[in-house]
Amino acid sequence: MNLMFKELNPVLHSQLRLAIMSVLISVKEAEFSYLKEKTNSTAGNLSVQLSKLAEEEYISVTKSFRDNYPLTTCKVTAKGVKAFDEYVSNLKSYISKK
Amino acid sequence: MEKKEKQLTETESFELIQKMISSAKEEMEDDSFYYLIWGWLVFVASISQFVMIRMNVEMNFLGWLILMPAGALATILYSRRQEKKQRVKTYVDWIMKYVGIAFMVALFIVLFFQFKLQLNAYPMIMMVYGMWLFVSGASIKFKPIIIGGIINWILCIASFFFAVEIQILILASAVMLGYIIPGHMLKNKFENLKS
Repeated sequence: MNLMFKELNPVLHSQLRLAIMSVLISVKEAEFSYLKEKTNSTAGNLSVQLSKLAEEEYISVTKSFRDNYPLTTCKVTAKGVKAFDEYVSNLKSYISKK
Repeated sequence: MEKKEKQLTETESFELIQKMISSAKEEMEDDSFYYLIWGWLVFVASISQFVMIRMNVEMNFLGWLILMPAGALATILYSRRQEKKQRVKTYVDWIMKYVGIAFMVALFIVLFFQFKLQLNAYPMIMMVYGMWLFVSGASIKFKPIIIGGIINWILCIASFFFAVEIQILILASAVMLGYIIPGHMLKNKFENLKS
């Protein structure tokens, strides 16, 4: 039966990356500090995971300045939405077969 | 840098997604400022015009001339300050921005071509108000504002059958019922959420 299960996308099957994607899927765009607060993560770890998601083109990251402070804004891409949808439907099949 | 994470189970994944989505969905901006400032300014402008008409003051539209630009300036300053504070933009924020622009454009057209509309400028203003209240109320899922929009449309239709003087009073009650009362209810809702 296990052969019927599709493998869960390893990029998304990680606590922090999944948390980031779940937040970004619900909003239009979010700043770094907001993601840090919502996911309850450290700045270092969050940066690393954001870069991974950006490398996969699941999110787009914009760097700018506000009042002379660097500002990082993230939003989910169409590719990211598709990957997230697939991940959720695969997850559903795992859970319903249990 | 990356910490070794424990492997997520499928159920944990599901719970995490649910938790994050519902926490991000809670993100709501308190937009009551816009309803309150416009509600009160239009209310004061229309009542003052009514009183001045009764007192035979020639420049009876003076209140509008002063209060409307003041409202526009306050709206611009406030929304800029809010945008700076905002760390997350939801789809509702995005829709509200465009609905707000559409409202301003429609209102500008009505006010600018008042002379063409002649006696019926006030009903047209209420029609535009109704549209903004109905759509913006639905976007933020706040029923009193949606109802306020419907009231504005009803009063718009009714006011076609009255003289200008009475139309001004109808407009004042339209903003009281469509903006001011629902605006205060919205403000209270956010204050209760905070506490």
